[in-house]
Amino acid sequence: MLDTPVTGKRQVARGMFVIGMHAPEIASAVRAGQFVNLGWSAGPLLRRPFSVYRAEGEHIEVVLKAVGSGTGQMLAMEVGDRLSCLGPLGRGFEFGGGAREAVLVSGGLGVAPMLLAARDARTAGMKVTWVHGARTAAELCSEMDGDTVIWATDDGSQGMAGSAVAAAPDADVVLACGPNRMLAAAAERWPEAQVAVETYMGCGTGVCLGCAVPLKRGGYDRACKEGPVYRAADIDWAALPSHLPYAVVA
Amino acid sequence: MTTDMSVAVGGMKLRGPVLAASGTFGYGTEVPLVERRALGAMVSKGIFLRPREGTAPPRIAETPSGMLNAIGLQGPGADALVRDYAPQWAEWDFPVLVNINGESASEYAELTSRLDGVPGVAGFEINISCPNVEQGGMFFGNDPRAAATVTEAVRKRTKLPVWVKLTPMVSDIGVIARAVESAGADALCAINTFVGMSIDLNAYRPRLSFRTGGLSGPAIRPLAVHLAHQAARAVRIPVIGIGGIARAEDALEFLVAGCTAVQVGTATFVNPKAIAEVHDGIASFLEARAFRSLADLPRYLPRD
Repeated sequence: MLDTPVTGKRQVARGMFVIGMHAPEIASAVRAGQFVNLGWSAGPLLRRPFSVYRAEGEHIEVVLKAVGSGTGQMLAMEVGDRLSCLGPLGRGFEFGGGAREAVLVSGGLGVAPMLLAARDARTAGMKVTWVHGARTAAELCSEMDGDTVIWATDDGSQGMAGSAVAAAPDADVVLACGPNRMLAAAAERWPEAQVAVETYMGCGTGVCLGCAVPLKRGGYDRACKEGPVYRAADIDWAALPSHLPYAVVA
Repeated sequence: MTTDMSVAVGGMKLRGPVLAASGTFGYGTEVPLVERRALGAMVSKGIFLRPREGTAPPRIAETPSGMLNAIGLQGPGADALVRDYAPQWAEWDFPVLVNINGESASEYAELTSRLDGVPGVAGFEINISCPNVEQGGMFFGNDPRAAATVTEAVRKRTKLPVWVKLTPMVSDIGVIARAVESAGADALCAINTFVGMSIDLNAYRPRLSFRTGGLSGPAIRPLAVHLAHQAARAVRIPVIGIGGIARAEDALEFLVAGCTAVQVGTATFVNPKAIAEVHDGIASFLEARAFRSLADLPRYLPRD
Protein backbone atom coordinates (compact mmCIF):
# COMPACT_ATOMS: atom_id res chain seq x y z
CA MET A 1 0.00 0.00 0.00
CA LEU A 2 1.54 3.19 -1.23
CA ASP A 3 0.72 6.80 -0.43
CA THR A 4 1.60 8.58 -3.63
CA PRO A 5 1.21 12.01 -5.26
CA VAL A 6 -0.66 12.61 -8.49
CA THR A 7 2.03 13.62 -10.97
CA GLY A 8 0.03 14.48 -14.05
CA LYS A 9 -3.31 14.52 -15.82
CA ARG A 10 -4.17 14.75 -19.50
CA GLN A 11 -7.15 14.21 -21.77
CA VAL A 12 -7.01 11.39 -24.33
CA ALA A 13 -10.59 11.41 -25.65
CA ARG A 14 -13.86 13.20 -25.00
CA GLY A 15 -14.50 12.60 -21.30
CA MET A 16 -11.51 10.27 -20.97
CA PHE A 17 -8.47 11.24 -18.90
CA VAL A 18 -5.15 9.76 -17.86
CA ILE A 19 -3.88 10.30 -14.33
CA GLY A 20 -0.25 9.61 -13.45
CA MET A 21 1.26 8.81 -10.08
CA HIS A 22 4.65 8.06 -8.59
CA ALA A 23 4.78 4.32 -7.86
CA PRO A 24 8.26 2.88 -8.52
CA GLU A 25 7.67 -0.66 -7.20
CA ILE A 26 4.44 -1.03 -9.15
CA ALA A 27 5.92 0.48 -12.31
CA SER A 28 8.71 -2.09 -12.38
CA ALA A 29 6.56 -5.09 -11.43
CA VAL A 30 3.28 -4.57 -13.28
CA ARG A 31 2.23 -6.79 -16.16
CA ALA A 32 -0.34 -5.94 -18.79
CA GLY A 33 -3.85 -6.61 -17.52
CA GLN A 34 -3.01 -6.17 -13.84
CA PHE A 35 -4.69 -3.40 -11.89
CA VAL A 36 -4.26 -1.05 -8.97
CA ASN A 37 -6.91 -0.28 -6.36
CA LEU A 38 -7.00 3.44 -5.61
CA GLY A 39 -8.36 5.30 -2.61
CA TRP A 40 -8.06 8.85 -1.31
CA SER A 41 -9.01 10.74 1.81
CA ALA A 42 -12.55 12.09 1.75
CA GLY A 43 -13.18 9.69 -1.13
CA PRO A 44 -15.84 6.99 -1.25
CA LEU A 45 -15.61 4.11 1.22
CA LEU A 46 -14.34 1.52 -1.22
CA ARG A 47 -11.27 1.83 -3.39
CA ARG A 48 -11.69 1.99 -7.16
CA PRO A 49 -9.90 -0.52 -9.37
CA PHE A 50 -8.08 0.60 -12.53
CA SER A 51 -6.03 -1.31 -15.06
CA VAL A 52 -2.52 0.07 -15.24
CA TYR A 53 -2.43 2.01 -18.51
CA ARG A 54 1.22 2.91 -18.71
CA ALA A 55 4.29 2.18 -16.63
CA GLU A 56 7.48 4.11 -17.27
CA GLY A 57 10.44 4.64 -15.00
CA GLU A 58 9.03 5.33 -11.55
CA HIS A 59 5.54 6.28 -12.72
CA ILE A 60 2.31 4.53 -13.56
CA GLU A 61 -0.82 5.87 -15.21
CA VAL A 62 -4.48 4.90 -15.15
CA VAL A 63 -7.21 5.96 -17.56
CA LEU A 64 -10.72 6.87 -16.48
CA LYS A 65 -14.00 8.55 -17.27
CA ALA A 66 -16.24 10.30 -14.77
CA VAL A 67 -18.87 7.59 -14.42
CA GLY A 68 -19.78 8.20 -10.79
CA SER A 69 -18.98 10.42 -7.84
CA GLY A 70 -15.77 8.51 -7.09
CA THR A 71 -14.24 8.90 -10.52
CA GLY A 72 -15.58 12.47 -10.57
CA GLN A 73 -13.56 13.23 -7.45
CA MET A 74 -10.47 11.66 -9.00
CA LEU A 75 -10.77 13.83 -12.08
CA ALA A 76 -10.98 16.92 -9.87
CA MET A 77 -7.59 16.11 -8.34
CA GLU A 78 -4.59 18.34 -8.94
CA VAL A 79 -0.93 17.45 -9.31
CA GLY A 80 0.40 16.81 -5.80
CA ASP A 81 -2.89 15.50 -4.37
CA ARG A 82 -2.42 12.17 -2.64
CA LEU A 83 -3.67 8.75 -3.68
CA SER A 84 -3.43 5.50 -1.75
CA CYS A 85 -2.39 2.87 -4.25
CA LEU A 86 -2.62 -0.90 -3.74
CA GLY A 87 -1.05 -3.13 -6.35
CA PRO A 88 -0.21 -4.50 -8.77
CA LEU A 89 -3.17 -6.84 -8.30
CA GLY A 90 -4.69 -9.70 -10.26
CA ARG A 91 -3.45 -11.89 -13.05
CA GLY A 92 -2.61 -10.24 -16.36
CA PHE A 93 -2.33 -11.35 -19.97
CA GLU A 94 -0.05 -14.26 -20.93
CA PHE A 95 2.35 -13.86 -23.83
CA GLY A 96 3.93 -17.31 -24.02
CA GLY A 97 3.47 -19.80 -26.83
CA GLY A 98 5.66 -18.24 -29.49
CA ALA A 99 2.89 -16.72 -31.62
CA ARG A 100 4.04 -14.19 -34.23
CA GLU A 101 1.14 -11.79 -34.13
CA ALA A 102 -1.19 -10.44 -31.46
CA VAL A 103 -4.49 -8.70 -32.11
CA LEU A 104 -5.53 -6.28 -29.38
CA VAL A 105 -9.24 -5.41 -29.35
CA SER A 106 -10.40 -2.55 -27.16
CA GLY A 107 -13.74 -0.81 -26.78
CA GLY A 108 -13.95 2.60 -25.08
CA LEU A 109 -12.17 2.48 -21.74
CA GLY A 110 -11.04 -1.01 -22.72
CA VAL A 111 -7.88 0.73 -23.94
CA ALA A 112 -6.80 0.66 -20.30
CA PRO A 113 -4.59 -2.47 -20.31
CA MET A 114 -3.67 -2.34 -24.00
CA LEU A 115 -0.69 0.00 -24.02
CA LEU A 116 1.10 -2.38 -21.68
CA ALA A 117 -0.23 -5.34 -23.67
CA ALA A 118 1.30 -3.88 -26.85
CA ARG A 119 4.59 -3.43 -24.99
CA ASP A 120 4.61 -6.96 -23.56
CA ALA A 121 3.52 -8.53 -26.87
CA ARG A 122 6.43 -6.87 -28.65
CA THR A 123 8.81 -7.99 -25.93
CA ALA A 124 7.56 -11.52 -26.60
CA GLY A 125 8.43 -11.05 -30.28
CA MET A 126 4.95 -10.45 -31.66
CA LYS A 127 3.72 -7.99 -34.23
CA VAL A 128 0.84 -5.95 -32.79
CA THR A 129 -2.42 -5.10 -34.51
CA TRP A 130 -4.58 -2.89 -32.33
CA VAL A 131 -8.27 -2.48 -33.09
CA HIS A 132 -9.92 0.25 -31.07
CA GLY A 133 -13.62 1.10 -31.09
CA ALA A 134 -15.86 3.72 -29.53
CA ARG A 135 -19.28 5.23 -30.13
CA THR A 136 -17.93 8.25 -32.05
CA ALA A 137 -14.60 9.58 -33.34
CA ALA A 138 -14.38 12.04 -30.44
CA GLU A 139 -14.49 9.17 -27.96
CA LEU A 140 -11.63 7.21 -29.52
CA CYS A 141 -8.49 7.24 -27.40
CA SER A 142 -5.83 9.38 -29.09
CA GLU A 143 -2.90 7.31 -27.76
CA MET A 144 -2.49 4.09 -29.70
CA ASP A 145 0.55 1.93 -30.17
CA GLY A 146 0.45 -0.83 -32.76
CA ASP A 147 2.31 -1.90 -35.88
CA THR A 148 -1.14 -1.69 -37.40
CA VAL A 149 -3.95 0.39 -35.90
CA ILE A 150 -7.58 -0.10 -36.97
CA TRP A 151 -10.35 2.23 -35.82
CA ALA A 152 -14.03 1.42 -35.50
CA THR A 153 -16.91 3.67 -34.50
CA ASP A 154 -20.58 2.86 -33.96
CA ASP A 155 -21.60 5.87 -36.05
CA GLY A 156 -18.93 5.46 -38.72
CA SER A 157 -17.41 8.88 -37.94
CA GLN A 158 -13.89 7.38 -38.01
CA GLY A 159 -12.54 4.10 -39.35
CA MET A 160 -14.86 1.18 -39.91
CA ALA A 161 -18.52 1.51 -39.00
CA GLY A 162 -19.42 -1.05 -36.34
CA SER A 163 -17.79 -2.72 -33.40
CA ALA A 164 -14.10 -3.29 -32.73
CA VAL A 165 -14.76 -7.03 -32.66
CA ALA A 166 -16.24 -6.95 -36.16
CA ALA A 167 -13.38 -4.79 -37.43
CA ALA A 168 -10.62 -7.05 -36.11
CA PRO A 169 -8.68 -9.60 -38.16
CA ASP A 170 -8.10 -13.11 -36.85
CA ALA A 171 -4.87 -14.10 -35.11
CA ASP A 172 -3.46 -16.81 -32.88
CA VAL A 173 -3.31 -14.45 -29.95
CA VAL A 174 -6.32 -12.18 -29.33
CA LEU A 175 -6.51 -9.94 -26.28
CA ALA A 176 -9.73 -8.04 -25.61
CA CYS A 177 -10.97 -5.50 -23.12
CA GLY A 178 -14.11 -3.39 -23.06
CA PRO A 179 -17.75 -3.56 -21.99
CA ASN A 180 -18.79 -7.10 -21.06
CA ARG A 181 -21.25 -7.16 -23.98
CA MET A 182 -18.36 -6.58 -26.36
CA LEU A 183 -16.31 -9.27 -24.65
CA ALA A 184 -19.19 -11.73 -24.98
CA ALA A 185 -19.14 -11.06 -28.74
CA ALA A 186 -15.36 -11.54 -28.76
CA ALA A 187 -15.82 -14.86 -26.93
CA GLU A 188 -18.20 -16.07 -29.66
CA ARG A 189 -15.66 -15.32 -32.34
CA TRP A 190 -12.45 -16.27 -30.50
CA PRO A 191 -13.10 -18.77 -27.68
CA GLU A 192 -9.37 -18.84 -26.93
CA ALA A 193 -9.06 -15.05 -26.62
CA GLN A 194 -7.78 -13.60 -23.37
CA VAL A 195 -10.32 -11.10 -22.07
CA ALA A 196 -10.06 -8.64 -19.17
CA VAL A 197 -13.52 -8.45 -17.59
CA GLU A 198 -15.19 -5.72 -15.59
CA THR A 199 -16.83 -6.45 -12.25
CA TYR A 200 -17.74 -4.64 -9.11
CA MET A 201 -14.92 -5.03 -6.67
CA GLY A 202 -14.77 -4.75 -2.90
CA CYS A 203 -11.28 -5.38 -1.59
CA GLY A 204 -9.21 -6.25 -4.68
CA THR A 205 -7.15 -8.62 -2.54
CA GLY A 206 -9.21 -11.82 -2.66
CA VAL A 207 -10.99 -11.78 0.68
CA CYS A 208 -14.44 -10.29 0.09
CA LEU A 209 -15.61 -12.49 -2.82
CA GLY A 210 -17.53 -9.51 -4.18
CA CYS A 211 -16.03 -9.60 -7.69
CA ALA A 212 -17.55 -12.98 -8.60
CA VAL A 213 -17.08 -14.10 -12.19
CA PRO A 214 -19.48 -16.86 -13.27
CA LEU A 215 -17.69 -19.77 -14.92
CA LYS A 216 -18.87 -22.18 -17.63
CA ARG A 217 -17.88 -25.14 -15.50
CA GLY A 218 -20.12 -23.79 -12.70
CA GLY A 219 -19.45 -21.68 -9.68
CA TYR A 220 -17.61 -18.40 -9.42
CA ASP A 221 -14.13 -17.17 -8.92
CA ARG A 222 -12.61 -13.82 -8.17
CA ALA A 223 -11.80 -11.21 -10.81
CA CYS A 224 -9.24 -9.72 -8.42
CA LYS A 225 -7.24 -12.95 -7.93
CA GLU A 226 -7.88 -15.51 -10.67
CA GLY A 227 -8.72 -12.65 -13.07
CA PRO A 228 -9.34 -10.06 -14.31
CA VAL A 229 -7.95 -11.79 -17.41
CA TYR A 230 -9.75 -14.99 -18.44
CA ARG A 231 -9.84 -17.39 -21.35
CA ALA A 232 -12.99 -16.18 -23.10
CA ALA A 233 -14.54 -19.66 -23.34
CA ASP A 234 -14.26 -20.17 -19.56
CA ILE A 235 -16.77 -17.44 -18.66
CA ASP A 236 -20.52 -17.95 -18.42
CA TRP A 237 -21.30 -14.75 -20.32
CA ALA A 238 -25.06 -14.94 -19.82
CA ALA A 239 -24.56 -14.80 -16.06
CA LEU A 240 -22.02 -11.94 -16.07
CA PRO A 241 -23.69 -8.54 -15.64
CA SER A 242 -23.33 -6.78 -18.96
CA HIS A 243 -23.05 -3.21 -17.82
CA LEU A 244 -21.61 -1.71 -14.66
CA PRO A 245 -21.35 1.94 -13.64
CA TYR A 246 -17.76 1.44 -12.60
CA ALA A 247 -15.43 -1.48 -12.92
CA VAL A 248 -11.88 -2.57 -13.53
CA VAL A 249 -11.76 -0.92 -16.89
CA ALA A 250 -14.93 1.10 -17.34
CA MET B 1 6.55 0.21 29.32
CA THR B 2 4.27 -1.74 27.03
CA THR B 3 0.57 -1.59 27.61
CA ASP B 4 -1.01 -4.95 28.38
CA MET B 5 -3.51 -5.41 25.55
CA SER B 6 -4.47 -9.00 26.30
CA VAL B 7 -8.09 -9.92 26.87
CA ALA B 8 -9.98 -12.99 28.04
CA VAL B 9 -12.92 -13.66 25.75
CA GLY B 10 -15.31 -16.54 26.00
CA GLY B 11 -12.86 -19.24 27.01
CA MET B 12 -9.84 -17.77 25.27
CA LYS B 13 -6.93 -15.61 26.29
CA LEU B 14 -6.11 -13.34 23.34
CA ARG B 15 -2.99 -11.22 22.90
CA GLY B 16 -5.03 -8.25 21.76
CA PRO B 17 -8.63 -7.07 21.55
CA VAL B 18 -8.79 -6.58 17.78
CA LEU B 19 -10.06 -9.53 15.77
CA ALA B 20 -10.66 -10.12 12.07
CA ALA B 21 -14.37 -10.39 11.30
CA SER B 22 -15.75 -13.31 9.34
CA GLY B 23 -15.96 -12.79 5.60
CA THR B 24 -13.46 -9.95 5.54
CA PHE B 25 -10.23 -11.86 5.97
CA GLY B 26 -10.91 -14.96 3.88
CA TYR B 27 -9.25 -17.94 5.52
CA GLY B 28 -6.33 -15.76 6.52
CA THR B 29 -4.17 -17.01 3.70
CA GLU B 30 -4.53 -14.00 1.40
CA VAL B 31 -3.14 -11.49 3.87
CA PRO B 32 0.61 -10.90 4.15
CA LEU B 33 2.17 -12.01 7.42
CA VAL B 34 3.09 -8.48 8.39
CA GLU B 35 -0.59 -7.58 8.69
CA ARG B 36 -1.26 -10.35 11.18
CA ARG B 37 1.07 -9.29 13.97
CA ALA B 38 -1.62 -7.34 15.82
CA LEU B 39 -4.38 -9.86 15.33
CA GLY B 40 -6.00 -11.07 18.56
CA ALA B 41 -7.82 -13.81 16.68
CA MET B 42 -9.29 -14.46 13.27
CA VAL B 43 -12.78 -15.62 12.44
CA SER B 44 -12.83 -17.52 9.16
CA LYS B 45 -15.14 -16.88 6.26
CA GLY B 46 -18.48 -18.53 7.05
CA ILE B 47 -18.65 -22.17 6.09
CA PHE B 48 -21.35 -24.77 5.57
CA LEU B 49 -20.86 -28.51 5.84
CA ARG B 50 -21.00 -28.79 2.05
CA PRO B 51 -19.54 -26.52 -0.67
CA ARG B 52 -21.66 -23.56 -1.73
CA GLU B 53 -21.44 -21.49 -4.89
CA GLY B 54 -22.75 -18.25 -3.44
CA THR B 55 -25.05 -15.75 -5.13
CA ALA B 56 -24.94 -14.45 -8.68
CA PRO B 57 -23.25 -11.09 -9.33
CA PRO B 58 -23.58 -8.21 -8.73
CA ARG B 59 -22.80 -9.11 -5.12
CA ILE B 60 -21.77 -5.75 -3.74
CA ALA B 61 -22.93 -2.18 -4.00
CA GLU B 62 -21.42 0.85 -2.36
CA THR B 63 -23.76 3.08 -0.34
CA PRO B 64 -23.08 6.27 1.63
CA SER B 65 -20.26 5.41 4.09
CA GLY B 66 -21.03 1.76 3.68
CA MET B 67 -21.56 -1.17 1.39
CA LEU B 68 -24.18 -3.81 0.76
CA ASN B 69 -23.04 -7.35 0.17
CA ALA B 70 -24.81 -10.53 -0.78
CA ILE B 71 -22.04 -13.08 -1.20
CA GLY B 72 -24.30 -15.92 -0.08
CA LEU B 73 -21.68 -17.73 1.98
CA GLN B 74 -19.69 -19.01 -0.97
CA GLY B 75 -17.31 -21.59 0.40
CA PRO B 76 -15.55 -24.89 -0.16
CA GLY B 77 -17.27 -26.89 2.59
CA ALA B 78 -15.92 -28.51 5.73
CA ASP B 79 -13.74 -31.18 4.12
CA ALA B 80 -11.78 -28.66 2.04
CA LEU B 81 -11.44 -26.37 5.05
CA VAL B 82 -9.98 -29.20 7.12
CA ARG B 83 -7.65 -30.21 4.28
CA ASP B 84 -6.53 -26.84 2.91
CA TYR B 85 -6.72 -24.27 5.69
CA ALA B 86 -6.75 -25.78 9.18
CA PRO B 87 -3.20 -27.20 8.85
CA GLN B 88 -1.96 -23.66 8.15
CA TRP B 89 -3.92 -22.23 11.07
CA ALA B 90 -2.32 -24.76 13.40
CA GLU B 91 1.04 -23.09 12.73
CA TRP B 92 -0.08 -19.54 13.46
CA ASP B 93 0.50 -17.60 16.67
CA PHE B 94 -3.14 -16.52 17.07
CA PRO B 95 -6.30 -18.59 17.31
CA VAL B 96 -8.67 -19.10 14.39
CA LEU B 97 -12.37 -19.59 15.01
CA VAL B 98 -14.57 -21.03 12.31
CA ASN B 99 -17.79 -19.19 11.44
CA ILE B 100 -20.27 -22.04 11.12
CA ASN B 101 -23.55 -22.13 9.23
CA GLY B 102 -26.40 -24.52 8.62
CA GLU B 103 -29.93 -24.78 7.35
CA SER B 104 -31.02 -26.68 10.46
CA ALA B 105 -29.83 -27.11 14.04
CA SER B 106 -28.71 -30.63 13.22
CA GLU B 107 -26.62 -29.36 10.30
CA TYR B 108 -24.85 -26.90 12.62
CA ALA B 109 -24.25 -29.81 15.01
CA GLU B 110 -22.90 -32.07 12.28
CA LEU B 111 -20.54 -29.35 11.07
CA THR B 112 -19.32 -28.78 14.63
CA SER B 113 -18.58 -32.48 15.08
CA ARG B 114 -16.69 -32.53 11.79
CA LEU B 115 -14.46 -29.62 12.87
CA ASP B 116 -14.14 -30.28 16.60
CA GLY B 117 -10.67 -31.55 17.44
CA VAL B 118 -9.18 -30.64 14.06
CA PRO B 119 -5.78 -29.03 14.74
CA GLY B 120 -5.97 -25.35 13.85
CA VAL B 121 -9.64 -24.96 14.77
CA ALA B 122 -9.60 -23.05 18.07
CA GLY B 123 -13.31 -22.39 18.45
CA PHE B 124 -16.61 -21.65 16.76
CA GLU B 125 -18.57 -18.56 15.90
CA ILE B 126 -22.15 -19.62 15.26
CA ASN B 127 -23.60 -17.56 12.45
CA ILE B 128 -27.32 -17.15 13.07
CA SER B 129 -27.32 -13.77 11.44
CA CYS B 130 -26.36 -14.02 7.76
CA PRO B 131 -28.97 -12.11 5.75
CA ASN B 132 -27.90 -13.57 2.41
CA VAL B 133 -29.04 -17.18 2.46
CA GLU B 134 -32.48 -18.52 1.61
CA GLN B 135 -32.61 -20.87 4.56
CA GLY B 136 -31.08 -20.71 8.02
CA GLY B 137 -28.85 -17.73 8.71
CA MET B 138 -30.72 -14.78 10.08
CA PHE B 139 -33.92 -16.74 10.54
CA PHE B 140 -32.40 -18.55 13.52
CA GLY B 141 -31.09 -15.28 14.88
CA ASN B 142 -34.33 -13.40 15.26
CA ASP B 143 -36.18 -16.00 17.28
CA PRO B 144 -34.92 -16.62 20.83
CA ARG B 145 -35.98 -20.28 20.87
CA ALA B 146 -34.41 -21.05 17.48
CA ALA B 147 -31.24 -19.19 18.49
CA ALA B 148 -31.03 -21.20 21.71
CA THR B 149 -31.71 -24.49 19.92
CA VAL B 150 -28.84 -23.95 17.49
CA THR B 151 -26.50 -22.81 20.27
CA GLU B 152 -27.35 -25.87 22.37
CA ALA B 153 -26.87 -28.19 19.42
CA VAL B 154 -23.36 -26.83 18.84
CA ARG B 155 -22.54 -26.64 22.56
CA LYS B 156 -23.25 -30.37 22.94
CA ARG B 157 -20.73 -31.26 20.22
CA THR B 158 -17.68 -29.33 21.43
CA LYS B 159 -15.74 -28.21 24.47
CA LEU B 160 -14.02 -25.48 22.43
CA PRO B 161 -15.16 -21.88 22.86
CA VAL B 162 -18.56 -21.21 21.26
CA TRP B 163 -19.36 -17.63 20.27
CA VAL B 164 -22.67 -16.60 18.74
CA LYS B 165 -22.89 -13.82 16.14
CA LEU B 166 -26.13 -11.91 16.52
CA THR B 167 -28.25 -10.13 13.95
CA PRO B 168 -29.29 -6.52 14.47
CA MET B 169 -32.61 -7.25 12.72
CA VAL B 170 -34.50 -7.88 15.98
CA SER B 171 -36.80 -5.84 18.17
CA ASP B 172 -34.85 -6.56 21.38
CA ILE B 173 -31.31 -7.88 21.09
CA GLY B 174 -31.22 -8.46 24.86
CA VAL B 175 -33.82 -11.22 24.57
CA ILE B 176 -31.75 -13.12 21.99
CA ALA B 177 -28.53 -12.44 23.92
CA ARG B 178 -29.96 -13.94 27.13
CA ALA B 179 -31.38 -16.92 25.23
CA VAL B 180 -28.04 -17.93 23.72
CA GLU B 181 -26.22 -17.22 26.99
CA SER B 182 -28.55 -19.66 28.75
CA ALA B 183 -27.99 -22.17 25.95
CA GLY B 184 -24.28 -22.28 26.72
CA ALA B 185 -22.57 -19.62 24.57
CA ASP B 186 -19.17 -18.45 25.83
CA ALA B 187 -19.39 -15.05 24.15
CA LEU B 188 -21.58 -12.96 21.86
CA CYS B 189 -20.54 -11.14 18.72
CA ALA B 190 -22.68 -8.09 18.08
CA ILE B 191 -23.53 -7.40 15.37
CA ASN B 192 -23.77 -8.86 11.88
CA THR B 193 -24.92 -6.67 8.96
CA PHE B 194 -28.25 -4.87 8.65
CA VAL B 195 -30.51 -5.88 5.78
CA GLY B 196 -30.59 -3.17 3.14
CA MET B 197 -31.56 -2.56 -0.46
CA SER B 198 -30.35 -0.18 -3.14
CA ILE B 199 -31.97 0.46 -6.51
CA ASP B 200 -30.27 0.87 -9.88
CA LEU B 201 -32.15 3.75 -11.51
CA ASN B 202 -30.95 2.78 -14.98
CA ALA B 203 -32.24 -0.77 -14.74
CA TYR B 204 -35.28 -0.06 -12.49
CA ARG B 205 -34.33 -2.96 -10.24
CA PRO B 206 -32.19 -3.70 -7.19
CA ARG B 207 -28.44 -3.22 -7.62
CA LEU B 208 -27.78 -6.64 -6.07
CA SER B 209 -28.90 -9.80 -7.81
CA PHE B 210 -30.03 -11.17 -4.42
CA ARG B 211 -32.31 -8.08 -4.15
CA THR B 212 -31.16 -7.32 -0.61
CA GLY B 213 -27.77 -7.34 1.04
CA GLY B 214 -26.05 -6.85 4.37
CA LEU B 215 -25.09 -3.26 5.14
CA SER B 216 -21.68 -2.76 6.72
CA GLY B 217 -19.14 0.01 7.13
CA PRO B 218 -19.03 3.28 9.07
CA ALA B 219 -22.68 3.94 8.18
CA ILE B 220 -23.82 1.38 10.76
CA ARG B 221 -21.38 2.20 13.57
CA PRO B 222 -23.65 4.17 15.93
CA LEU B 223 -26.38 1.55 15.48
CA ALA B 224 -23.84 -1.18 16.22
CA VAL B 225 -22.41 0.54 19.30
CA HIS B 226 -25.92 0.81 20.70
CA LEU B 227 -26.82 -2.82 19.98
CA ALA B 228 -23.52 -4.18 21.31
CA HIS B 229 -24.07 -2.09 24.43
CA GLN B 230 -27.62 -3.41 24.81
CA ALA B 231 -26.35 -6.98 24.44
CA ALA B 232 -23.56 -6.38 26.96
CA ARG B 233 -26.06 -5.00 29.47
CA ALA B 234 -28.22 -8.07 29.10
CA VAL B 235 -25.67 -10.82 29.74
CA ARG B 236 -22.69 -11.78 31.91
CA ILE B 237 -20.66 -13.38 29.14
CA PRO B 238 -18.29 -11.19 27.09
CA VAL B 239 -19.55 -9.29 24.05
CA ILE B 240 -17.36 -8.70 21.02
CA GLY B 241 -18.33 -5.48 19.27
CA ILE B 242 -18.62 -5.34 15.48
CA GLY B 243 -19.87 -2.67 13.11
CA GLY B 244 -18.08 -0.04 11.07
CA ILE B 245 -14.81 -0.01 13.01
CA ALA B 246 -12.06 1.59 10.94
CA ARG B 247 -9.97 3.47 13.51
CA ALA B 248 -8.86 3.01 17.12
CA GLU B 249 -11.40 5.56 18.34
CA ASP B 250 -14.21 3.51 16.78
CA ALA B 251 -13.01 0.38 18.57
CA LEU B 252 -12.65 2.27 21.84
CA GLU B 253 -16.30 3.34 21.62
CA PHE B 254 -17.34 -0.31 21.61
CA LEU B 255 -14.92 -1.17 24.42
CA VAL B 256 -16.11 1.68 26.65
CA ALA B 257 -19.71 0.72 25.81
CA GLY B 258 -19.12 -2.65 27.44
CA CYS B 259 -17.46 -4.86 24.84
CA THR B 260 -14.49 -7.02 25.77
CA ALA B 261 -13.02 -7.13 22.27
CA VAL B 262 -13.90 -5.98 18.76
CA GLN B 263 -13.89 -7.30 15.23
CA VAL B 264 -12.77 -5.23 12.27
CA GLY B 265 -14.45 -6.10 8.99
CA THR B 266 -15.20 -3.86 6.03
CA ALA B 267 -12.30 -1.54 6.92
CA THR B 268 -9.89 -4.32 5.95
CA PHE B 269 -11.24 -4.20 2.38
CA VAL B 270 -10.19 -0.57 2.13
CA ASN B 271 -7.04 -0.71 4.23
CA PRO B 272 -5.27 -4.07 4.57
CA LYS B 273 -3.45 -2.64 7.60
CA ALA B 274 -6.64 -1.57 9.38
CA ILE B 275 -6.42 -4.20 12.13
CA ALA B 276 -2.82 -3.34 12.97
CA GLU B 277 -3.61 0.39 12.96
CA VAL B 278 -6.64 -0.07 15.23
CA HIS B 279 -4.60 -2.22 17.61
CA ASP B 280 -1.71 0.25 17.75
CA GLY B 281 -4.09 3.18 18.13
CA ILE B 282 -5.78 1.60 21.14
CA ALA B 283 -2.37 1.02 22.73
CA SER B 284 -1.39 4.65 22.12
CA PHE B 285 -4.68 5.86 23.58
CA LEU B 286 -4.16 3.82 26.74
CA GLU B 287 -0.55 4.87 27.06
CA ALA B 288 -1.35 8.56 26.57
CA ARG B 289 -3.81 8.31 29.43
CA ALA B 290 -1.43 6.29 31.63
CA PHE B 291 -3.55 3.13 31.69
CA ARG B 292 -1.22 0.17 32.20
CA SER B 293 -3.60 -2.31 30.66
CA LEU B 294 -6.73 -2.44 28.55
CA ALA B 295 -8.51 -3.83 31.61
CA ASP B 296 -8.09 -0.40 33.24
CA LEU B 297 -10.13 1.33 30.53
CA PRO B 298 -13.27 2.82 32.15
CA ARG B 299 -16.50 1.21 30.97
CA TYR B 300 -20.00 2.56 30.71
CA LEU B 301 -22.15 -0.45 31.45
CA PRO B 302 -25.15 0.03 33.71
CA ARG B 303 -26.79 -3.36 34.20
CA ASP B 304 -30.38 -3.99 33.13
